[in-house]
Amino acid sequence: MTDDLVIESLALTKQFRGGVRAVDTVSFEVQRGSVCGLLGPNGAGKTTTLRMLVGLVRPTSGSARLLDDHVDPGSRVLAKVGTMIEHAEFVPHLSGLTNLRLYWESAGGDLGTANLDRALGIAGLGDAVHRKVKTYSQGMRQRLGIARALLGAPQVLVLDEPTNGLDPAEMRDVRTLLRRVSEEGVTVLLSSHLLGEVEQVCDQLVVMDRGRVVRIGTVAELTRAAASMYLEVDDIPRARVVLAAHVGVRTVAGEGPGLAVELDGISRADVVRTLVEQGFAVDTVTSRHRLEDVFLGLIEPDVS
Amino acid sequence: MSLALFRTEMFKQWRRPRTYVALGVLVLIPLIFTIALKSNPPSPRTADAEDAYAYLATKTGLYLGVASLFFLSRFLLVVVVAVFAGDAIASEASWGNLRAMLVRPITRSRLLTVKLASAVLLAVVAATLVPLTGLALGGVAFGWHPLEIPGAPSESSAHILASLALATVYVLWSLSPVIAFGFMASTMTDTPAGAIFSAIGIYIVSQVLDGISALGRIRSTFPTHHFDAWTSMFIRGTGPTTDMLRGALLVIPYTVVMLAVAWWWFNRKDILS
Repeated sequence: MTDDLVIESLALTKQFRGGVRAVDTVSFEVQRGSVCGLLGPNGAGKTTTLRMLVGLVRPTSGSARLLDDHVDPGSRVLAKVGTMIEHAEFVPHLSGLTNLRLYWESAGGDLGTANLDRALGIAGLGDAVHRKVKTYSQGMRQRLGIARALLGAPQVLVLDEPTNGLDPAEMRDVRTLLRRVSEEGVTVLLSSHLLGEVEQVCDQLVVMDRGRVVRIGTVAELTRAAASMYLEVDDIPRARVVLAAHVGVRTVAGEGPGLAVELDGISRADVVRTLVEQGFAVDTVTSRHRLEDVFLGLIEPDVS
Repeated sequence: MSLALFRTEMFKQWRRPRTYVALGVLVLIPLIFTIALKSNPPSPRTADAEDAYAYLATKTGLYLGVASLFFLSRFLLVVVVAVFAGDAIASEASWGNLRAMLVRPITRSRLLTVKLASAVLLAVVAATLVPLTGLALGGVAFGWHPLEIPGAPSESSAHILASLALATVYVLWSLSPVIAFGFMASTMTDTPAGAIFSAIGIYIVSQVLDGISALGRIRSTFPTHHFDAWTSMFIRGTGPTTDMLRGALLVIPYTVVMLAVAWWWFNRKDILS
C-alpha cells in the first residue's frame, strides 16, 4: 500500500452462526485526510463492516488494515484510532468526565496527552460533564461519544451514525467538525443512512446493500452517472412523446405540472435544445443531481 | 496484567452502589446476629452446629467471627461472590461499554485477566469482611478471651484466631468454582443477572445433589462436597483435616476448566452488544 492509504477493507466477509452473511467480500480503501461515507439502508452491513475494521468482530474471511497495520482485537494501531460504534454508551454510574478519563487511562495513556479540554469543548456539555451519565439524554451521550473518539488526537476516526439523536444544529456542528479534522489530516470513515449528511461532508462514498458494495466513488461521480431534470413546457402530452423517443433519455414521467426526465449520457442542454427546436415553449428547467435518486437506484427494494 | 487497566477497573467497582450494598449486607447480618445473641442468649444444651456456634459466641467474642463465617458462607457469601464474578464482563456488555473498552489497544486476554483479578479481589474483601466483622462485634459484645467451658478442653485465643484465618482462606478457595463459573457465564451473556444466577444455581445444584445419599461415592466429586470441612477445626478442635485438603484439591480442576472456557470463548467472541 502507499502511505496515503489509511483504511483498507480487503474482501471482508462475515457470516454469522445460522448462516446469515451480513457482509460479503467488501473491499474499499480510504485515502489519508479524506472523509469516506459508508452509505446504505438498515441491514446493509455497514456497522458489521466497521466492527471488523476495529477488531470487534472477527471476519469469516478477508482482512482489515489501518495505517498499514493488520487489525486484530487489541492491536496497537487502535491507539491511533478514535471509534464510536452504534450509540455512544458509557459506565452509567460515573460522570461524563470520569468516563472520558477512565477510557483514556485504561490503555495506559497519560491524561496530559488526551487533549481533554478540546474533547470537552466538542462535547459542549458544560457543568453536566460532572453529572452521572445515566442522567444524560441520547444527544448528550452522542456528543460525549464523539468527544471520546477524539481523545488523544487520533489519526483515524471510525464513526457509526455519529449524528444519531442530535438536533439539527448539533448535526451541523458535527459535520463542520468532521470537515475541520479532515483538513487537519485526520482520515474519517463514517456510516450513515442520512443522504444529505454524507452528501455534505464526504469526499468518497461506499454504497452498500445487503452486505455487498454496490458502488464506490465521489459524490460528483455517483450523481453524474444518474443525472435527471425536471421541466415544465406548454404542451406536456406532446413533449412526453417527443422526449420518450429522444436518444439519451432513459425515462419520462409526469410530475405535478411538469415532467421528470432521467438522462443517460446526454446533457440537460441537449434536451432543452430539442424541445425548443420542436417549437415548445420551455418554462422551467431544474437540475436534479440528487444523491437520493442515485442511492434509491442502487439498492434493491426489500421484497420481504 | 496492566496496572493502569486494573486501577481504572477497581475505581469503577468501588464507585458502584452494588459493591457497597453487597458488602454492607455482609456487615449487617453479623450485627443483627450479635444483637440477637446479646438480647436472647442461647441455651448451653445444643443439638446442632448452628446452636453450638451461637452458644460459643456468647462465651468468647472470638467465636462470633467463627459463627459469622459459618452462617454467611453457606449462602450469602456465595451470592455476593457470584455477583462480583457474574457481573464482571456482562455488566460492561449490558451498558454497551464493552465495545468502547475493546476498541482500545487492550487485548481481550488482558481485559479478562484484569476483570478476573478485580472480581477475585472483591471476593477476598467480602470473605475477610465476614469474620472480621464478627470478631469486632464479638469483642464489643462478649469480649476477646480464650474459650473456657467447664468439662471441655480450653481453646486459646491464638488457636481460635489462627483456625479462623485458615477457615476463611479455605472458604474463599472453596468458592473458586462459583467465581469461575460466574465469570465464564459473564463472558457469554449481556445480562449480568443471568450470569449471577447461573453461578448461584450451580452451587445450589451441587449442594442438592450432594445431599442425595443414594448417589453414593459420586457425591465426593461434587465441588461443594467438602465445603464445610473447615468446621471440624472448631467443633472437634482438630487442626486442618484431610477433608480440607481433598476439598482444596477438588475445586482446582473445576476452576481451571471453567476459566479456560471463559478465555477460549471471549477471545473468539464477536462483540455485538
